Formats: sequence, structure tokens, C-alpha cells
Amino acid sequence: MTLFIQQLFNGVALGGVYCLAAIGLTLVFGVLRIPNLAHGSLYMLGAYVTYFFLTTVGVPYVAAIGIAALVLFVLGVLLERLVFHPLRNSPHTHHMIAAIGAMFFFQAVAQAIWGADFRRMETPLSGSLHILGAEISAQRIVIIVTAIVVLSLLTWFIKRSIHGQTIEAIEQDRTGAALVGINPAMVSMLTLGLSALLVTIAAGLVSPINLLSPTMGDSLNLKVFAIIILGGLGSLPGAIVGSFALAIAETMTSTYISSAVGEAVAFVVLVGVLAIKPTGLFAKAVQR
Amino acid sequence: MLSLENMSVGYDATNVLHGVSITAQPGELTVILGANGSGKTTLFKTISGLLRTRSGTIEYNGQTIQRTRPNTIVKRGIAHCPEGRHLFGKMSVEKNLRLGTYPHRDRTRTEEILSEVLELFPILKEKSAQPAGSLSGGQQQMVAIGRALMSDPSLLILDEPSMGLAPLVVEQVLESIAQINRNGIGVLLSEQNAKASLAIAHRGYVLAEGRVVLADDAEKLLDNPQVQAAYLGL
Repeated sequence: MTLFIQQLFNGVALGGVYCLAAIGLTLVFGVLRIPNLAHGSLYMLGAYVTYFFLTTVGVPYVAAIGIAALVLFVLGVLLERLVFHPLRNSPHTHHMIAAIGAMFFFQAVAQAIWGADFRRMETPLSGSLHILGAEISAQRIVIIVTAIVVLSLLTWFIKRSIHGQTIEAIEQDRTGAALVGINPAMVSMLTLGLSALLVTIAAGLVSPINLLSPTMGDSLNLKVFAIIILGGLGSLPGAIVGSFALAIAETMTSTYISSAVGEAVAFVVLVGVLAIKPTGLFAKAVQR
Repeated sequence: MLSLENMSVGYDATNVLHGVSITAQPGELTVILGANGSGKTTLFKTISGLLRTRSGTIEYNGQTIQRTRPNTIVKRGIAHCPEGRHLFGKMSVEKNLRLGTYPHRDRTRTEEILSEVLELFPILKEKSAQPAGSLSGGQQQMVAIGRALMSDPSLLILDEPSMGLAPLVVEQVLESIAQINRNGIGVLLSEQNAKASLAIAHRGYVLAEGRVVLADDAEKLLDNPQVQAAYLGL
């Protein structure tokens, strides 16, 4: 039972990380109508930039994540403006090829600066909490709390603020949005910037637990795609539910069956969803 | 004043509008009559910047706007209520209306216009929390007109607002449009319903196969034998 509770907390913490990563991807899909295959490499860069500010520059952990998130926001905006925007009227395969190109580019840049070897980000938060007999590390508690706070702020931004509402407006009706004076190009940049910012927070939070490497984004990339397909492309609640469902399933199978099976869970779910309900649990994008 | 000068617009290899010239005086209600496929929707989409002209000019209050983006054109005071309405179907009626204020985002002005819109369409008060997509066709049309008004326009362009509505609702919608115009907002309206729309209009144009074939005061058009034959079934 203790093991179960322990793993449940680990699963929820992992879910928080997936959630921060998946929401950005699903927003980008909703607004730009493209699967951003470079999302995992933004996660990787986010982790390295956090590492740089924490270790090389020496700013405190939370500030390092904050600065890295802003740096990646700018990078996301530039990625939209320089890569996706010029391709906005071309066939969708062009976006995907460009995104894969961006992914290789980012990996090469990270490798050139930080090398191909694994790096460890020292855990600035030590200690742990005992809850119901299980030992929960402070890092995981920080992940869970941060995920809740960031998701609440994001929900407020999208549902309540007029700039956030433009994101949903574009998703629901592009022509209508243009006619009420919303500039789709601005919203596209905002959305990609926001997705890079969110995925960097995820990367900064999880890096002290995992190791850094230029290819660290690859498996996350596949998993968040599985999550947003499970949740329904473009759906925010779908991305949240999908993240936690997948993370808990992954942790539990790793614990009770084997870690190899745990890694495969995401793809078993993905194949299952595509076979049975390809529109996902919270279908949204299918009406078009 | 909106003036289109010798404007041609097309898709791919073919032109839909051929050298169209139309003027809409400030504060007046101008109606564009024409059958399906005569180019009314293309005309309106070009004015609001969704489509580009191939030749000719569009001027609004002395500024040329044929190369201006839709979001800037709304700021200049032209609000387009499009065919098919293009509402944000999953958002509440109130959010739809409030997003209409995006070009100015002036709080006091927003509340003023919102109360004017709700006075014009009282039914929207009851429905304000419902998703716009769940409303009836007539009510959705009211939301669309309301949303366009929220941008505080000097010219409202309405593309066939009566399309697909029950006759009684059509009458209601046209009456609201006449009211909007009486409140001082210029209206450019496209319609197939010639009699009802000419009755509330100052001037009218008849569009056929992408060309202006008739242009006159609304009353004169009502008496015009060509219009009577083509649109009034007399």
C-alpha cells in the first residue's frame, strides 16, 4: 500500500510535467493547425537554458526556470515568425518537414554548446515529506504545486483575459476572429511563445530528477503527442486528463510489471485510441 | 464615406467582380441587391480585407484601404457581419459580444454599446450565458450583428442577414437594421429580399454577374420596371 501511494505521487508529479508540455502542443495545434514536431526539442533547450542559468551563471533555481522560460518564449515567437509563418499558405507536409528541421537544428546547437554527454542538474531542493507512510521528495512536491499554479494562471489567461480569449477565438473561427480585429499572425506568435514557455517550466522542474542530453526531448515528444491524441487534438481538458492518465499508467506499470513496459504504455494507449476512438476523449478539432 | 472605384476581384483564373463602382454615404443605408452568385459576398469580403482587389481602389473617409489587413480595417470603423455569421460557437453570447470590442477595448464605451445592443435585441439578455452555437438561426444573426456593433463602427456591412431565417424573423432583423441606421451608423446591406430592404434603404445598387447594372435612390428602384420584374415578381 505504501508503495502504491508512493507511486501515485510520482505518477501525479510526472503528470504535472506532461501536462505543462502537452498543453502548449495542443494550443499550437488549435491555433496554427500544425503538429509542432519540434516541441520536444524546445523542452530540451528549456532544460539546458535552465541548467546554464543555474550552474554557469549561478542564479537561484526558481529564477533560473523563470529566465529560461522567458528566453524560450522569445525563441518560440521567433520559430513561428521565421519558420512557420512563411509557410502558412503551403501544404501541411511543409510544416512538418520544417519542424523536423528545426528539431535537428536545436539538437545540434545544444550539442555544440554543451556536448553530447549526459549532464546532471543538481537538486537544489533536498529533503522529503512523509505522507501516509510514503516518502515524497521535495522536488516532486514542487512539481505538483507549480503545475497546479501554472495551469490555473493559464486557464485564467485563456478564459478571462481578452488576449487569451483571442487564442480560443482563432481556434473556433478564423474568419470571425479576423473580422473582430484579431490579428492571426500575432496570436500565432503568442501561442508558440506560450507553448515554449510552458514546456520550459516542465523541463526545469523535471531536470533535477532526470539527466540532460541533446536527445532528451525525443521520448517526451512522442509521449506528449500520444497524450494530445488521447485527449483529442486541440482540447485543453483533454490534454490535462490525458497527461495524468498516461503518467499514472506509466508509473504503475513500471512499478508492478517492468520499466520497459512502462515506457511502452504511452504507445499501447496511442494505438488503442487510434483504433477505437481516433478523435480522442474530448474531440474538438474534428468538426472542421 | 466608402467609395469603391472600378474594382475587380477574382479567384484563381476568373474574375468575380468586373470594374464595380459603389459609394456608401456616411449615415445612409445602402442596399446591394443581387441573385446568388452575383458577387455580393465577394464584394463585402474585399471591403473588409479578407480578399484582395485585382484592380481599382477602395477608399474609406479619404484613406485607401484595399491593401489594409482586416484587423486594421475594423479599427478604421468598418465592421463586417459576414455571410454564415462566423460566431465563436462554443463561447457564450456575452463573450462573443465582448470580443467584438477588441479593436478599441475601451471599458466605458464597451458597457455603453453592450447596453445598446441588448436594448436592440432583448432576447440576447436571457441567452447571454449560453454558447452562441446553441442559439436559433435568428438569434445567432442578432449575436453576429451585435458583435459587429461592439467594435463601435461608423459603417456596418451586413452580408445577407436574412438568409435562412423565417419570414417573421426576417422582418424583425430588418427592423433592427433600420433602427441601427436611425442611430446614426452607416449600413451597407446585401439582400435578395428587394422589397423589404429597399423600403428601409436610402440608395440601392443592383449587381448581376459581377457588374453594377442599376444604381439609384431606393424609392426609384422600387418603381423601376426592371427591378420589379427581376426581384418583386410584378
